[in-house]
Amino acid sequence: MIDYLAIALTHGLLALAAWRLLQRDDLDSEPGDAEPARSAAKQGPRV
Amino acid sequence: MFNLALSLFVVGFIALGVRRPFLWVLAYLYIDIVAPQKITYAILPSLQISLVAFIAAFGGWLLADDKRNSRFSLRQTLMLVLLVYCGISTMSADFPVEALAKWGWVWKALLFAIFLPLTLRTRLRIEATALVMVLGAATIIISGSIKTVLGGGGYGSLHLLVNDNTGLYEGSIISTVAIAVIPVVVWVARHGTIFPSDWRVKLFAAALVFACLLMPIGTQARTGLLCIGLLAILSLRTAKRRFLYVTLMAVAAFAAIPFLPESYTKRMSTIENHAADESASTRVAVWAWTMDYVKDHPFGGGFDAYRQNKLSYQTKSADVAGNNTAVAVADVQDKARAYHSSYFEMLGEQGWPGLAVWLWLQLLGLWQMERLRSRWNKRAAEHPGDAAFAWQSPLANALQQTQLIYLAGSLFVGIAFQPFVLMLIGLQCGLWSYLRRIDSPQRPSAIRPRRAPIVNAVAAS
Repeated sequence: MIDYLAIALTHGLLALAAWRLLQRDDLDSEPGDAEPARSAAKQGPRV
Repeated sequence: MFNLALSLFVVGFIALGVRRPFLWVLAYLYIDIVAPQKITYAILPSLQISLVAFIAAFGGWLLADDKRNSRFSLRQTLMLVLLVYCGISTMSADFPVEALAKWGWVWKALLFAIFLPLTLRTRLRIEATALVMVLGAATIIISGSIKTVLGGGGYGSLHLLVNDNTGLYEGSIISTVAIAVIPVVVWVARHGTIFPSDWRVKLFAAALVFACLLMPIGTQARTGLLCIGLLAILSLRTAKRRFLYVTLMAVAAFAAIPFLPESYTKRMSTIENHAADESASTRVAVWAWTMDYVKDHPFGGGFDAYRQNKLSYQTKSADVAGNNTAVAVADVQDKARAYHSSYFEMLGEQGWPGLAVWLWLQLLGLWQMERLRSRWNKRAAEHPGDAAFAWQSPLANALQQTQLIYLAGSLFVGIAFQPFVLMLIGLQCGLWSYLRRIDSPQRPSAIRPRRAPIVNAVAAS
């Protein structure tokens, strides 16, 4: 019974955390990440 | 019903990774800490879920993740060196079969700790890793602490979720890890964005910290008491009102004594009178044997080399009755006793080079966290009240405290390759690489959301 309670509590929170992470864009990239690539692309290929 | 629900949870967790592959990394962390395949015997054991999650985590990173900002740090290299070294020592181990069994989980733990930092490219990923580790350990700690309160404790007799004395389910290990993880619990509650800090988060964190403190009482592991003492001292460093803090701690400690079970206070008193205690005397004898052993085997004897030790030592106990003190001396013969210390575990199994690399890995972590702590303290002072600069130094501080408590617990528990601790080292490496990257002059926008500099610019004009 105690084990079930502990598992239900923490696994409920883990499931909620996983669900919230799915909705967050900043999980995979942050504002600064894309900039070097984008500015490099604007400059065109290096000769 | 319960088995089905837990199996569905694990399968669901892994399935979510299809949308966000980083969740596979989190799924592996969860499976490795909680070992759900040992809790339920219905579906999971036949699926090799740990292996599935490992392959998914690695494959997801390899195929789908952005690797431009991944860096291989010096500490990852040290773990790689340790991995290769342990592999070689296993091939020439004194006990090849037993050594191979330990190697079977050590290489996975080391490899994952080397891999984890490569995936920790964003602040949210670092936070999510810390959160999953906390909630994973909490699963074991909450159930153990409730049983302790209800009177089910005792050395070696507290039934945790899984009763097989492996991983975090061993008494001394969980009581050390439970105390070590407290600073991370506090950080997640204060600076978390997945569960932003509110009264519910604070209540849960406070209850969890209390549960963590109960674990050494429930398992009656003396090392836990040492760890609590160290945690109290370490937290003085960041406490704002130190005098009040010390007073409160002293009051809490005295208030707790009457509530402690008699068996606990009795066992703790053997810390002082360790000569009478067989468990403590064995440790000293094993350590002396290890020092002797490496004189002839400077490169260690491979995993589980302790199995060849034969020990004989004396225990002394004083029985005081009135003015008379009767000292009873007992000769004890013992063999194949484990190291009961991570330092001697490393020395005996991997020799001086193995111990040196392991110590380098640990000490470098303490130093790196100290550097991050002071650097980001300055950043926070330069930007008072700015949440974008508030979380870094406290996390470095928490991870440093966690490691110090682990290193203190390691004096008396053989947990040199404990997977949970290696994950924490992976988290430290990830934080180090991430903060160094965003702190470089080319990358100021990564510290705060992109809108913020524009707002500041308008305000400045």
